[in-house]
Amino acid sequence: MSVLSIVVWIIAYPLIIFCIGVLLGGYERKFSARVERRIGPSWIQPFYDVIKLMSKKTNVSHGYMHDVAILMLLGGTMLTLYFVPVPGFSYFSQFGDFLVISYLLLIPSLGMALGVGETANPNGSIGISRALQMLAGYEVPFILTFIGVAMKEQTTSMLDIIRVQQAGGFWAWGLIAHPLLGVAALIALQGMLNEKPFEVIVAPHEIATGPMTEMGGKYLGIMFIQHLIAVPLELTLYINLFLGGASNWLEYLVKLFVLWTALISVNMVFGRFRVDSAVKFMWKISLPLAALGVIGIMLNIA
Amino acid sequence: MLTSMLLILPLAGFLTSLAAAWIVPASSKARASGAVQKIIAGIGFAALFVFAFLAKSEIGTGYLGIPLFGLWLNFGLTQLSWYFVAMVAGISLVTVLFSLQGLRDDGRYPFYYIWLFSKTFGMLGVLLSADMLTFFIMWEVMSWCTYFLLQQGHEKAKRAGAGYLVYAVTAGMILLAGLLYVYFNVGSFDFRTIQKAFSGFGAGRIIVAMLLVLVPMLIEAAAYPVHWWLPSAYANAETGISAYLAAISTRIGIYGMTMFLFAGFGLTALNLVTANKYVSANEVLMIIGAFTMVVPTFTALFQHDAKELMTWHSIGQGGYMIVGIASSTTLGIAGGLFHVFNHMTYVSLILFSIAAVEYRTGTTNLNKLGGLIKKQPVAYLGLLFGIIGLAGIPPMNGFVSKWLIYRALILSGHPFIALAAFIATLGTILSVYKLIHNMFLGQLPERYNDIKEVGWGMRLPIIFMMAVVWLTGAFPGTVLAVVADIQQSLGLERVAYSVHGVAAEMGQLNMLVINIVFIGGLFVSWLIYLAGGKRKHIGQYDNYAAGHFLDKSIPYNYNYNFYAGMEHIFERLLHKPPVKRAEQALATFVSGTSEYVCRIFTGNITTYSAYVVAAVVVILLVLGGGR
Repeated sequence: MSVLSIVVWIIAYPLIIFCIGVLLGGYERKFSARVERRIGPSWIQPFYDVIKLMSKKTNVSHGYMHDVAILMLLGGTMLTLYFVPVPGFSYFSQFGDFLVISYLLLIPSLGMALGVGETANPNGSIGISRALQMLAGYEVPFILTFIGVAMKEQTTSMLDIIRVQQAGGFWAWGLIAHPLLGVAALIALQGMLNEKPFEVIVAPHEIATGPMTEMGGKYLGIMFIQHLIAVPLELTLYINLFLGGASNWLEYLVKLFVLWTALISVNMVFGRFRVDSAVKFMWKISLPLAALGVIGIMLNIA
Repeated sequence: MLTSMLLILPLAGFLTSLAAAWIVPASSKARASGAVQKIIAGIGFAALFVFAFLAKSEIGTGYLGIPLFGLWLNFGLTQLSWYFVAMVAGISLVTVLFSLQGLRDDGRYPFYYIWLFSKTFGMLGVLLSADMLTFFIMWEVMSWCTYFLLQQGHEKAKRAGAGYLVYAVTAGMILLAGLLYVYFNVGSFDFRTIQKAFSGFGAGRIIVAMLLVLVPMLIEAAAYPVHWWLPSAYANAETGISAYLAAISTRIGIYGMTMFLFAGFGLTALNLVTANKYVSANEVLMIIGAFTMVVPTFTALFQHDAKELMTWHSIGQGGYMIVGIASSTTLGIAGGLFHVFNHMTYVSLILFSIAAVEYRTGTTNLNKLGGLIKKQPVAYLGLLFGIIGLAGIPPMNGFVSKWLIYRALILSGHPFIALAAFIATLGTILSVYKLIHNMFLGQLPERYNDIKEVGWGMRLPIIFMMAVVWLTGAFPGTVLAVVADIQQSLGLERVAYSVHGVAAEMGQLNMLVINIVFIGGLFVSWLIYLAGGKRKHIGQYDNYAAGHFLDKSIPYNYNYNFYAGMEHIFERLLHKPPVKRAEQALATFVSGTSEYVCRIFTGNITTYSAYVVAAVVVILLVLGGGR
C-alpha cells in the first residue's frame, strides 16, 4: 500500500464504519417496528439522534474524569477499529494480533466505567457492575473459541486466520469447520452486543438507563457514536473468525446484515435475564460448547 | 568487589540504624529517632541502588567466599540474579523514598527501616548465593527477616506474622531435606557439580530432588494451595511494607524456581523429567499456576479492604509467572520473567496510592470510602495507571508480558491453561474496578470534605512509578533486552524483541503504534467533543434520583456488595473455601496431637530418668545393630 492510500484509509475507515453502523442501527429499529406492526422511524434515524444530541445547549458533567472518560470511550473504540482488518485495509494488523484487539476492546469499557463512576449515581454504578459481570460471562467462551481456532492454525494473527478460511473456500469457514466453536461464539456475541436476553446493562425501567443515567447532551451523543461504531466492529470480529472474512465490500455488507438480522431476531423474542442467570447461561451453555470444540481440535492435532 | 558491596551495604545499614535506635530510642524522642533512621535509610538504599547497577559489569566474574565453620559460603552474580538484584535495589529505594513522608513519626514502627535493611540483606543473600548450602542459609535468614518485618504494629499483624512463620519454617525444613538429599547423592553443594551429576541420574531421583526444592519455592511464591499465609500477613503490615513485600519479596520464590529449573539442576535434568508423554513436570507446574491465577483473583472480588484485595492479586499475578516459566517456551519464559518486573512496578504503584488515601482518611475499608477523586487526584491517577497495568490492558506494561504468556500457551497447545489466564484477567478487571470505584468514584461522604492531597514526598514516588509503568509499556524492549540475556545465559533461545515490542518472527506487537493510534483516537474524539456545546460542571447532589431531592443527609451510593450477581454464583465456595477448611483441619490435628505429645513432659523427675535410660538403651541397640 502506498503512503497516500494508507492516509486516505485512516481518515475514511472510521467514517465508513460509522455510516454502516447508522444503517445497521436504523435497520434494527425498522425491523423491530415491523415485527410489532408499526411503521417505524427513518432508516438513518440514529444519525438524526446523534445530530440532535450533539447540538444540545445543556451539557452537564460531574468532573474531569467524566469528560475524559467520554474521550476514552470513543478514542478506545477507534483505536480497536484500526487493528481489525476489513477488505482492502489491513495496514495496522501487522502491529497487533487478535490478542491485542481483544484487550483494546476493554479500553472503551474501562473508560465508560470510570466516567459513570464519577457521576455518583447508584443506577450508573449498578449498570457498570452488571456490565463487568457480563464481560466475565461472554468473554470467557468467546476467547476460548478464539484459542481453539488459533491453536488449530498455529497463529494468533487475524489476517492469517482469514487467509486460511479464504484459501479453503466455504468448507473452511470457521462456522463450518468448527461448528461448536462457531455456535458458542455466536451466543457470546449476543451478550457482547448487549442484546436480549443478555440486555442487563442498560435495562430500561429497571435501573433507569444504567450507565447512561447521568449522561446527556454531547456526552450521550458521543456514546451513541461509539455504539454505532462498536456494533459493526464486533460483528466484523465474528465474520473474520468464523464467516471467512470478506474479499470485497459487497460480500462484507451482505455478511454483516445477515449476521445482524440473526442476532436481532433473537433479541425480538426474548425477555431479559437477571444478571447472574445471564452469566450462568454463558458459562453453562456457551462455554462447554466451546470446550468440546477445543477438545475436538486437540484430538485432531494429536 | 562491587558484588560484595551488595551484601555489605544492607548489613552495614542494618547495624548502623540498629545502633542509632539504641542511641536515640524512639520511646523517648520519637521525632529525632525517626529523622536519624530516615537519613541512614535514604543514604543506605540510594548507595545500594547505585552499586546494584554498577555490579552489572561483574556478572559471572565476581565471586566471593566467606569461610564459616570449615565450610565456604559462596556468593556470585549471574545474569538471572542481577535482574532480581536490580529490582530489589530499585524498589527498596522507591519504597524508602515513599516512606520518608508516608510513615508518620509517631513511634508505632520504631524498627521499620532496621528490618527493611535486614530483609533486603536476606533477599540479596539468597539472590547472590552460588551454591546450595549458601542458598539454604540465606533462605532462612530471609524468612526470619520477613517475619520481623511483618510482626510490627498492631496485634493482628503479630498474629499474621506468626502464621507466616509456620509456612516459612515448613518451607525451610523441606528445603533442608532437599539440600541433604542432593548432597548425599552428589557429594557437593556446588551447582555446576550438581548439574553435571544430575544429567546422569534416573528420573526417580530427579523428581524427588525437584519436589524437595520446588515446594519451598512455591510456598514462598504463595502458589495455590499453599497461599493462605499471604493475605492476612501482607494486609496487616504497614502499607509501605505491603507494597515492598508484594512487589518483590514473594517473587524470590519465582527466582528460586527459575534458578533450580534452568540453572541449578540443569536443563538436561528437566528434559529428562518432562520427556514422559503423559505426565510432564511442566504441566503439573502449569496447572498449579493456573489455579494460582484463577482462585485468588476471584477471591479478591469479594474483599472489603483495599489492601487485602490487592494482596490476593499479588498471589494471582504470581500464577502468570509460574505458568509462563513452566511452559518452557521462549515466549513463555520471557513473559514470566518480564511479568516479575511489571508486577513489581504496578503493584507498588497501586499500594502507594492506597497508602496515600490511608494517610489522609485513616482507613482502607472499601465500604467507607468514595468520591475521593476530587480530593486526591494524583493518588487517583496513580491507582488508575496501576490497575490498567494490573489488568493487562494496553498501553501499560502489564499487557506486554501477559501477551507473551498467552501467545506461548496458545501456540504450545495448552488451550485451557490459556483460558485460565484469560479468566484471571477478567476477574482482575472486575475487582480492580471495584477498588477504584469504591475508593475514588461514587459519592464523597461528608466527613471527607476537608481532605487534602498528600505532600510531594508521597506524590513524587507515585508520579515516578506511573511514568515507569507507562514507559516500559511503550518501550518494553528496554527490559526485554535483559530478559533475553538471561535466556541466553541459561542456554535457552533468546526472545526476539524490538524496542517497541516483539519482533515479527515471534509475533506481532508494537506498543508504540498502539500508543500513537490511541493518542490519535483521543485527539479526534476531543475534536468531536469540542464540536458540541459548552459543558458545565455540577455537584454530586445535583443528580437523577427519580424525582426525589438529594442532599447531604442522603447516602446515595452503590458500593457495598458490588458484584452481587457473582456473589450469588459463588456463594458456596465463598463461605467455605476448601483450602482454608483444609488448613484449619490440619491446625486442629496438629494442636490435638501436640496435646498428647505434651503429656510426655510430666514434670516428674522419675519419668524423665526413665526416658534417659530408655534412650540410652535404644542408642546402644542401634549402634550394636550397625556392627
